[in-house]
Amino acid sequence: MTALVQTLVNGLLYGGILSIAAVGFSLIFGVMSVINLTHGIFVIGGAYGALVAWSVLGIDPLLSIPPLMLVAFALGWGCQRLVIQPAVERGNPVAALLVTFGFTLIAVNLLTVTFSSSVRSISPSYSFINLRVGDISIDLVRLVAFACGLALIAILGSFLRFSRWGRVIRATALSELGARLCGVDARAVYALTFAVASAFAAASGVLIGMMLPFTPAEEVTWTVYAFIVVTLGGVGSLGGAMLGGLLLGLVSTLTQTYLGAVYTNMVMFLILLVTLLVRPNGILGSAFKASR
Amino acid sequence: MARRITILLLAVLLIAALAILPFFLKAFYVRVGLSIFLSAGFAVCWWLLAGFTSYYSFGHTAFVGIGAFAAALALRAVPEAAPALQLAWALGAGLVVAGGIATIIAWPILRLRGHYFTIAMLAVALVLGEAVAAFPVFGGSTGLALPNLAPMSVRVEAFFYWIALALLAVVLAIAWAISRSRLGYGLAAIREDEDAAQMLGVPTTRFKVVAFVLSGALTGSIGAVYALNLGYITSDSVFRGSLSLEMIVNSLVGGMGSILGPVIGAAVMTGVTKLVLADLLEYHLAITGILIIAVVLLAPDGIVGLWRRRRAREAE
Repeated sequence: MTALVQTLVNGLLYGGILSIAAVGFSLIFGVMSVINLTHGIFVIGGAYGALVAWSVLGIDPLLSIPPLMLVAFALGWGCQRLVIQPAVERGNPVAALLVTFGFTLIAVNLLTVTFSSSVRSISPSYSFINLRVGDISIDLVRLVAFACGLALIAILGSFLRFSRWGRVIRATALSELGARLCGVDARAVYALTFAVASAFAAASGVLIGMMLPFTPAEEVTWTVYAFIVVTLGGVGSLGGAMLGGLLLGLVSTLTQTYLGAVYTNMVMFLILLVTLLVRPNGILGSAFKASR
Repeated sequence: MARRITILLLAVLLIAALAILPFFLKAFYVRVGLSIFLSAGFAVCWWLLAGFTSYYSFGHTAFVGIGAFAAALALRAVPEAAPALQLAWALGAGLVVAGGIATIIAWPILRLRGHYFTIAMLAVALVLGEAVAAFPVFGGSTGLALPNLAPMSVRVEAFFYWIALALLAVVLAIAWAISRSRLGYGLAAIREDEDAAQMLGVPTTRFKVVAFVLSGALTGSIGAVYALNLGYITSDSVFRGSLSLEMIVNSLVGGMGSILGPVIGAAVMTGVTKLVLADLLEYHLAITGILIIAVVLLAPDGIVGLWRRRRAREAE
């Protein structure tokens, strides 16, 4: 019984991280209908940013989140404006996808040259503290990362819900033409969406870097996980990303405990496939435009 | 008619010229030619589906892997047969098993369109790759070894060079035949507007399934050669996302609008990476990335598209 509860707790904590690591991907897919393969590199880039801040400047990873988000915001804006927007305007969905792939190759190469391909991790002083609640033990780092993840999702949610720019983003997602008729500069909205999504990807990368070891090549994993989470929960909605992330976290830890670690990824990918075949819109359905 | 005969003659001459090249080239260049033919073959197989119907598969490496492992396992059954028979047996196993699995997944997966088809194929490749790594029949993480089938009198790289060239010629001939058939016109109609095609009486589902199964089966047979050439396969080496991406990138660089697009793309990309970038190994990925972005933004219809545009301008 304790083992099951422990597994469920671990699964939820891991799921929270999966959720925050997927919201950026979800936003871009929902608003721009672009499969953004650069997502993982912004996540891993965030982790390396935090590593530099922690090991060189001695800044706590959690405190490095806001400045790193600003940097990622700027990078995301530039990347969208210079490279992705021209490809989107070609009207071919695969053109945009390939361009993000090309950008990812460049970024992975630069990260590998700068930091080498060896495994890195960030372990601040509090990273080995365990909390005990009854028979359940919880890593403090994971709990903190989970809480930060939820807070970040809440921030992004209220930005989209209540701010003027958030409203414009949602309007453009519903209908680009309609939004433009109302005087919205759709290109600026796309750049803003991409920048915001990149900032949140980098923030999630910091949290991931505190919990798990990472390498430049790891970016593929996070892009694929974001794919699964978003497909499972529903494209373009934060609730969908939350739900998908938590479910996937549970499934992943349950598989690991009861079937064996070899099968974790296989089960996760099977879920992606089955969801696509049975309910392509995800559990919550897609509130944003159909991505056909 | 006369034009068709000219093209045919030119093709035969070109293939003959390529076939005698290994007698004059150093082993390294023969190997470059071999990898060009293999990646061109894969790209044309991928293009069979994507170019005709615009169903972009993101997981065609699934069929490479299926073909490779089918060949490896099939060869275990006939360890004593003559090498030529074993080769045919391995190729046949790759073709049939990949085609069979493609047939099974065709109906559910082809119901999906656009991005969803793309992602679903990615998922298929990921699931199969993980499954092969997890189950001991497939050698688990240690992988499987394949026998060396090249005769003693022939250089190994030249042997596989000829097989890959022959397979590429077969795949191209099939693609060419389809493009002039009822099937080809039906598939083109699906690409332009699937709903309209269906309304006009094109059996869209059947045509898509045929294209999908052909594409998968042929990829599987080339996958078998790929595995034989490697001599040793693991889940990671044949169920490899970069293989899927190479097919897409090569086709786009060459141009999606022509059968020769994928071949030209594969020749250019493989040539550039193996010959030009051989000394820049550290920045290999970044340069490939820049190349991809440049092609998509500057030459959206690929190299063939650039050439066609130039010809059109000269004709004015």
